Amino acid sequence: MAKVVVLGAGIAGHTASALLKKKLGGKHEVVVVAPNAYYHWIPSNIWIGVGRMTIDQVRFQLDKRYQKAGIIFKQAKAVSFHPEGDSEINKGFVTIEYTGQEKAGTTEKVDYDFLINATGPKLRFEATEGLGPGKNTVSVCSYDHAHEAWEKLQVAFKKMENGEHQKFLIGTGHPGATCQGAAFEYIMNVAYEIKKRKLSHLADIKWITNEFEVGDFGMGGAYIKRGGYITSTKIFAESFLKESGITWLKRAGVTKVEPGKVHYELLDGTTGEEDFDFSMLIPAFSGPGFTAFNKQGEDITTSIFAPNGFMKVDADYTSKPFEEWKAADWPQTYQNPLYQNMFAAGIAFAPPHSISKPMKSPNGTAIFPAPPRTGMPSGVTGKVVAENIIDWIKTGRPTLKHKASMARMGAACIISAGYGMIGGAAATMTVSPIVQDWDKFPEYGRDINYTMGEAGLAGHWLKWFMHYMFLHKAKGYPFWWLLPE
Amino acid sequence: MKEEVKRTIAYSQESYPPMPTKSTLFWRRNIIWQAWRWVVLNIKIMKIVVGGHS
Repeated sequence: MAKVVVLGAGIAGHTASALLKKKLGGKHEVVVVAPNAYYHWIPSNIWIGVGRMTIDQVRFQLDKRYQKAGIIFKQAKAVSFHPEGDSEINKGFVTIEYTGQEKAGTTEKVDYDFLINATGPKLRFEATEGLGPGKNTVSVCSYDHAHEAWEKLQVAFKKMENGEHQKFLIGTGHPGATCQGAAFEYIMNVAYEIKKRKLSHLADIKWITNEFEVGDFGMGGAYIKRGGYITSTKIFAESFLKESGITWLKRAGVTKVEPGKVHYELLDGTTGEEDFDFSMLIPAFSGPGFTAFNKQGEDITTSIFAPNGFMKVDADYTSKPFEEWKAADWPQTYQNPLYQNMFAAGIAFAPPHSISKPMKSPNGTAIFPAPPRTGMPSGVTGKVVAENIIDWIKTGRPTLKHKASMARMGAACIISAGYGMIGGAAATMTVSPIVQDWDKFPEYGRDINYTMGEAGLAGHWLKWFMHYMFLHKAKGYPFWWLLPE
Repeated sequence: MKEEVKRTIAYSQESYPPMPTKSTLFWRRNIIWQAWRWVVLNIKIMKIVVGGHS
């Protein structure tokens, strides 16, 4: 009997554990370690943040789902990795600390034959002074944060209803933040809600971003077919902002937040301040900060994890200039090169470099987006890792025939901007592949037939459809395995 | 309240992006056209997802 331990129950971890159990059946053991009691469909946080959905519409309890599937669930957080075991346990194990199940605070060693690290990011609000919930800005990175954002947004709406002018500042809260798509979606929704309440004349809405150009989205932007031209997502995204009455400040790295005031540095080295009444800013992300030890108890953290805390996999981590980046730099199997029974899926793997071109101000501040890996890439990498482990267990050898490089897979990013079957709207963007492959697609870096952007009600329906479809799949409802990642 | 006509400020960064015409806005909300686009988008996304890994 093989034992597979999955750390994390987000999109990547949940996809992997569900598939592992379905294909391995009762003969093998699947254990999920996750600190939260709930599965959470993160893309719908935006709708919580504007009061269109409740927290319970985007989450469900994991224990019932896992009990039904025969998956062992430990509500705990991983603390340290011991891939060689120790003097007591002669195989790899992880040390976990319970956060629930009436065992909060107790630790346990969980051994494994295969380990999937799918722990997602640590939200590093502390990397920007004064940033984040409980301080001076709100966030939509978790359902609690999104709920708080909605509560504070209602206060701003109330003030506007009383004739008070309000300034909304939304975007990235760190010079190296990612997830521009989520922040962009949130600002579009906030603008929609203000317009719907006929309060636009009292609102000043501003997009603040670390992107070199609006529409970069951490992917170096994209070229899309629109209106008889092949055009840049810069035009596409700026057009959306303008249409919604939103102004923008680009190439800005937020360095500090005070009550009602953001301090930033621009790529040209100048600094500035921006006032706000309501601000939602995305923090920097990092790995959760695990430590790792060998059998002798020596610290091997830097051998397994990159400096940003994400796990090293089969990527080419050689440092090289932007002009020499290749599609082949990106991992395909997400296997750790030192310990072959360890994999990382979703946000947990260390990317070889960013996708956007690295930029530095004359003061030496790096101001450019980190690479996004949420949503579709998380699901696909979770699936590929699970399939390779399933094959390995069934055949007894590592075939690693399942591959999914971000320089080969595509992704869809749907930015809703409204709500309702008739009243909703969205900008739908697809890119294929996510990471440009300039050797294969020398003209535009991507397949222009599958890299597209369009606005309309269809995108909103699609986002709605995906909300229910992916929750159906995650809950393990009938025929869940037929639904794609 | 009558909607205020927004004045374009020449040379401002907001003056450069394109704005949708009435016709574009109509097609964005036309149920039949959007239903067709929904099908097209689904097919494209499905192809991207399935073709992106082996």
